[in-house]
Amino acid sequence: MSEFYEGLAEIMEVDVSELSTDYEFGEAWDSLAVVSTIALIDEVYDKAVDIQLLQDCKTVGDIENLISKTDG
Amino acid sequence: MMQSNTVGARIEAIGLYFPDASLDNKKLAEELGDWAPEKILEKTGIRERRIAAEGQTALDLAEHACRNLLDKPGVSAEEIDFIILCTQAPDYILPTSACILQHALGLRTSIGAFDINLGCSGFVYGLSIASGLIASGSAQQVLLVTSDTYSKFINKKDRSVRTLFGDGASASLIVSSPNLQSTIGPFVFGTDGAGAKHLIVPAGGARNANSEETRIEQVDGSGNVRSQDNLFMDGAAIMAFTLAEVPKAFSAVLLKAGLVIDDIDYVVFHQANAFMLSALRKKMKIPEEKMPCRFENVGNTVSSTIPIVIEELMASGKFQPGQKIALVGFGVGLSWSACIISL
Repeated sequence: MSEFYEGLAEIMEVDVSELSTDYEFGEAWDSLAVVSTIALIDEVYDKAVDIQLLQDCKTVGDIENLISKTDG
Repeated sequence: MMQSNTVGARIEAIGLYFPDASLDNKKLAEELGDWAPEKILEKTGIRERRIAAEGQTALDLAEHACRNLLDKPGVSAEEIDFIILCTQAPDYILPTSACILQHALGLRTSIGAFDINLGCSGFVYGLSIASGLIASGSAQQVLLVTSDTYSKFINKKDRSVRTLFGDGASASLIVSSPNLQSTIGPFVFGTDGAGAKHLIVPAGGARNANSEETRIEQVDGSGNVRSQDNLFMDGAAIMAFTLAEVPKAFSAVLLKAGLVIDDIDYVVFHQANAFMLSALRKKMKIPEEKMPCRFENVGNTVSSTIPIVIEELMASGKFQPGQKIALVGFGVGLSWSACIISL
């Protein structure tokens, strides 16, 4: 899978094979996960996403949409 | 070429002090419940933090650090002619803690002393003031002290900050250099007060005095508990700020110094925590061996983190004359600063 999925799996502490666009974070999407994901998106895509919108993401697909809508 | 504001000052010696009590991950895990000690270490890179005793203030820690500095060979209390104390936990609203420190250390009364209220950027700001005082001929030997006790602001049930911050102090002697070679500077600075709310103790100052109301504890979305009297950190906003501003400040100071990254022997960042330093290292492509770290056994000690790393580099002989270190402090304010030093 992509570098982004590998990183996200590490942050969410799941196997990368479990992640898909529909994967729901649930309770595990806490402040530390958000902080780590900001760094991951910066590293992989060189983009600074809106923090509030990132916090509101529920699924992997939500994050992917947010990244694609964000200017690099 | 370098102007006179960077000429003639150098770091002579550094003394440190950490309070006795240790808060390790086992104890934290027992108190916080949902995180295992291994997970705290993995996420923060911190094994233990040192915590000031009840009734032990930042000024007490500062005095200990200064005494440890004064015990070093070649350091003389008589020669010190200026004190700069960086703290965000002064003993009193007034008078200034640095004035009390002058008396506690038995220093001459014919010297200057003042506090600066900055956090993680404070040591670099302090260096710039110290070297400016020396370059202008106003002082010959400046005692630059950093000391904070964030533990006293932290709610015991707020893992977002309790896992990270530790108490500690540093005392650096900045002296005029006999050969007048510039070994401190140049500097670059940054400030963005729009981010003041991201790292703040909301109550207790003139704007929002402590009251029954500010003492009320609330639970946030991640299950952390705090009141307005406690330290609040929006970790996501601080991470975003750091990733945006620190690389720019680093490039700006290299440009100002006429250096490239290969000319730099070490890059010493404010020691925030493992994941922030690792994010910066990856983004800025700094080799691991060029990025010394020292927070595993003391935590994030705010304005003392940078001198704590420099002290170890000096003590272990890894920092040699001719070598160059880039320092970057960043955090509460929001405030940031970078500079180049050598011995």
